[in-house]
Amino acid sequence: MADWWLPRRLFAQRTSESKSTRKPERRVIVVTFGGGVRYEDTLAREGWVNVPRLTSELVPQGLVYPNARHEGLTGHFNSTGALVTGSRQNVDAYGSEAPVTPTIFELFRKEHALRPEEAWVIATNKSFGLMGGSKLRSLGDPYSANVVLPKQLLISTIKAAVSTETGPGVEDRHALAERMMLALDEGYEGFGWRVFESGRALGAELKASLAKSLLAYFNDPAAPTSGDELTFFMTKEIMNRFAPSLLVVNFWDIDIAHYGAFSLYLEAVRRTDRLVHELWQHAQSLPQYRDRTTLIVVPEMGRDSDVAGNGFANHRSGDESCRRVWLVALGAGVPRGAGTERPIRTLDVAPTVAQILGFKMADCEGRPLAELT
Amino acid sequence: MQFSAGLTGEAATLAKTHSEMLARLPATVHAFILVELQKWPALFAPEQRYQRALLQHLSRLPRREFDEAAAGIERIEADAGVARLGERNPSRFQDEAQALLRNRGLNVAWRGEVDGFFQKIDPALEAQLYPADAPRRLVVQLYGSGIAVQREKLWSRFKGAGVRVPLDLDGTSGSEQFLQALFGARDSGRGGPALMAGAIEAAPLDAWLIESHEALHRLCERSETTGGAVTGLSYDRLRPYRDELTRALNRKVQSGVESPQAFAAYARSLQIIPPAGTLMYSADVLIAFVRDVLLTGNGTLLVNNTFVEWAAVQALRRAQPRILVTRFGVRDRLKPFSSMVLFSQPRASDHNPVVPDPAGSFIDVEQLSYYVWLNAEKNPAYRRKTLYLFLAEGVDEMLAIRSDAPQAAARPARARLSDVHATMAQWLGVPVPDGSGRPIVEIVQ
Repeated sequence: MADWWLPRRLFAQRTSESKSTRKPERRVIVVTFGGGVRYEDTLAREGWVNVPRLTSELVPQGLVYPNARHEGLTGHFNSTGALVTGSRQNVDAYGSEAPVTPTIFELFRKEHALRPEEAWVIATNKSFGLMGGSKLRSLGDPYSANVVLPKQLLISTIKAAVSTETGPGVEDRHALAERMMLALDEGYEGFGWRVFESGRALGAELKASLAKSLLAYFNDPAAPTSGDELTFFMTKEIMNRFAPSLLVVNFWDIDIAHYGAFSLYLEAVRRTDRLVHELWQHAQSLPQYRDRTTLIVVPEMGRDSDVAGNGFANHRSGDESCRRVWLVALGAGVPRGAGTERPIRTLDVAPTVAQILGFKMADCEGRPLAELT
Repeated sequence: MQFSAGLTGEAATLAKTHSEMLARLPATVHAFILVELQKWPALFAPEQRYQRALLQHLSRLPRREFDEAAAGIERIEADAGVARLGERNPSRFQDEAQALLRNRGLNVAWRGEVDGFFQKIDPALEAQLYPADAPRRLVVQLYGSGIAVQREKLWSRFKGAGVRVPLDLDGTSGSEQFLQALFGARDSGRGGPALMAGAIEAAPLDAWLIESHEALHRLCERSETTGGAVTGLSYDRLRPYRDELTRALNRKVQSGVESPQAFAAYARSLQIIPPAGTLMYSADVLIAFVRDVLLTGNGTLLVNNTFVEWAAVQALRRAQPRILVTRFGVRDRLKPFSSMVLFSQPRASDHNPVVPDPAGSFIDVEQLSYYVWLNAEKNPAYRRKTLYLFLAEGVDEMLAIRSDAPQAAARPARARLSDVHATMAQWLGVPVPDGSGRPIVEIVQ
């Protein structure tokens, strides 16, 4: 990707970084199998076929917790909210409310006096606009993460790109743009989902720069063909340009399970498996990340069981299948080829990140995972 | 709690008859029952029977038993402050109570108590509503031709339940021949195959055909158009209805929606009539059912087999037909990004043709047909009374599961589709026409 992608203002900020900030040596990337996956479809032996890279390449490099549990509400926003705060959340499931307890992004940035470019949320799920920070008086927007919803960004750039009415094939471009906008604006669980803007808005220059990448996107035969691939594309760009210390990446194509097609759900699980592996490879290719990055991979939650719940299509029964997940960690500070049957909770991710990056997270429900810190 | 439900007819009579008991119920349960009574014209007969039995049972329950059953819910309502809600419309009260419970972090505990309340009541209601000597039922699930069946994986989710019956498919090369041989000749007087017409007498809602395409509908069509003898839902035939529904929803989305809840309320209020010929039987209760299936099942507007499964599960739960036949088909492949383009219609300029996905469809229908079976077996109307048959067009094997004897003793000899037809007829107690097949002894005895 050419340098024009990066807003000049951000270049300037990066080169004149204040010496008063205390950017830690370590990096953490948390990746979710967003939407939720069942243990039986992934880390159980019969599920290995769906996550071949995770089980055969990533797990041997790191540590696996097969007995992880999601507690609290089993909706997307509250599940991921619990992951980034270490405390159960009980806010609007559609994303109109921010987490009610401090997020790792705010605490990290405040304690280390770091610029916004040090903490990012990149999410396929369009309801995650407010995932970057709480609205607490002492924290909130000034310390929140940058939140990027790649599909929503693409929608606005598509609109801008086709508004010129110039160039050949404009009629088809309109048709394509309309179809893509509708596809990108989907919500697998129903109609009428809205996008709630983050309190920390992305700069206009950053948004504008994406419009240029769109032209290449239209003409590139290797263009992303799913929302998660677009999220992957954006994550790589942000890593390349800003090398942030803390990234939370939400893949979410898996939630197509709500459409009731088991094969599409499995296809999305396999795609996520591939993208996680490619993301780790990408991190290893960057000097800013190699040997200093801890990758944490965890499902947002499970999905209903066939017998006790409502089946793979949903995650609302609250049954064990909906709560049983797993966690894989690898990279800096993580023992290789290890595993522990010790039960853990997804709530433990946030305080673990805090210990790795060296900031305090005193009042959350989770406890740091001693094996990773 | 005093509610203003605006009930009429039998629903009003029921509420009045049991008013003293209703007033003693926890407010959230009281509101729930009134909301159900408000739907009275859109309830199927089994749902109405359940409401009558529920009210009667609760009214007869000794005071102490009643209070003990309700105590857990009342405690949570008190903790949440539900009594302070001023809303008198039961539906809006439900929404406000749910919001309150959620804000107080009590909704999970409340749901657990409500489940416990009905678990105490349901055994008595089930014994009354579903006696052991009730008529037998039949559920047939078909995989249409075109689905890329993998023989080694076929019906593998059933893990040894039932019996595999080898089939002789001579003379049944296409779907039409296969289905005619399976269901027998059409009854020209009553519409639909004689097997179904004979089993359900004059009640169309007792036999349902739910399919992704139209093969079952064509089998049952009559030359005259005086109404069908069975109930049929075809995803393909419902296309004009689905299109109109999606257009209405799209218009609402474009004009702005206040909240997902408000949008759902708008969707439920839509009154769209399916065009003539869309439904074989078009009672008002069925039209409301179709709308609900398309609105409440996440993928039902977009994926044909999801529609079949969700509609079947809802029919089993709500209408409890004596005969249910599902026929799954091939769904379309994904397009870039998701291919599930809400509200969009393919156009020539899209340059993105619809491509079928026979391999993915097989993976899907294996799971979906299993879910239909699981849901039927959770239902007391079907438990221990039902014969389940699973067939794939063009595949010389069938899976048969009797819910009263899931593990069959012996593997039957090769059977013809006419034998399967005779087996279904004998199971249902319908006379087997002369010259047709012979019942499969290992299944019916």
